[in-house]
Amino acid sequence: MSVAGFGLNFKSDSTSIIKILRRRYAPFLGRSVRGLELEVSEGPNRREPFRPYVESAAGRLKLRRGDFCAEILNRQRKGKASAAPNEQCLDAFLRSLISRRLLDSGGLMLHSAGIVLGGKAYVFPGKSGAGKSTLSRLALGAGAEVISDEINLLRPGPRGWVAYGSPFWGEMRAGGRQASWPLGGIFLLKKAGTSSVLPCSGGEPFRSVLRCVVNFSRSAEVAAAALAAAGRLLAVTQTRKLEFSKDNADFMELIV
Amino acid sequence: MRIKKGLAYRRVAGELFVVDGANARLHELNGAAAVIWEGLSKGLSQSRIAAELSGQFEVEEPAALLDVQEFQRQLLAAGLLEEK
Repeated sequence: MSVAGFGLNFKSDSTSIIKILRRRYAPFLGRSVRGLELEVSEGPNRREPFRPYVESAAGRLKLRRGDFCAEILNRQRKGKASAAPNEQCLDAFLRSLISRRLLDSGGLMLHSAGIVLGGKAYVFPGKSGAGKSTLSRLALGAGAEVISDEINLLRPGPRGWVAYGSPFWGEMRAGGRQASWPLGGIFLLKKAGTSSVLPCSGGEPFRSVLRCVVNFSRSAEVAAAALAAAGRLLAVTQTRKLEFSKDNADFMELIV
Repeated sequence: MRIKKGLAYRRVAGELFVVDGANARLHELNGAAAVIWEGLSKGLSQSRIAAELSGQFEVEEPAALLDVQEFQRQLLAAGLLEEK
């Protein structure tokens, strides 16, 4: 499979795991892609700890949660993982892995809604309750493509920042697709009675974006990578505030 | 006292953002607090930091020194400083 430009090749004796991967990530599958090779076996379905733990030391990336455990040799691009054979576990594992790969490559996984307008991606960072799914549904109803209503994947490219198709969704539970779009802008979300676009002040965009970065590592180096990536992203991306009404898609006319 | 290891920080638009990854917390420091933080990060004494603060914010040095000491106590309480 390929997610955010990262190739992931899975090998597993578990038909359950393969079945789940094929079904859950169908739009992101390919025959064979260059990238990480992961041998996945079935593991226990422990509930604790629930929050993933991701650390890198001595060329090895370790990812752990109650229901998964993986060790990846960075240079060899090979790894072994054990995971409970269910969708939630494999989804959490992939989110943990992709969020770290993005940070390592100067990109960011952002809690945000993402939509496509005029061939460009517009991203709306926001924590729970900010209105990501509401905005996404309204945009979809008005004819826009939704990249994700929950998690968007951003990477710097040779011609600017790019948003990649995301398999990670929230309430809308759609599948996403393997594609990429140049990033057109970022809007900080605020629910309101009517729709309007306002300028941002001072460190507001940085604060909002940083609070929405998905990062399961506790290390200072990775935190510094997130700070640097957010700084680079906001230095070149127009960022404004969007007040929008949940009653209509009027905000769409204010985006581009 | 010095800034605790394992913190990442960056100045943006006059504010300083400090990420404490171990505790999953984001701290935001305003302009004056950022000057104190940056002084601490360079290992400057309290009086040197107070002089810097006094120069940038039109505050008398004795008052600036009290501000530095008070803010240092707050940083310690927040777990952002450690003993040298």
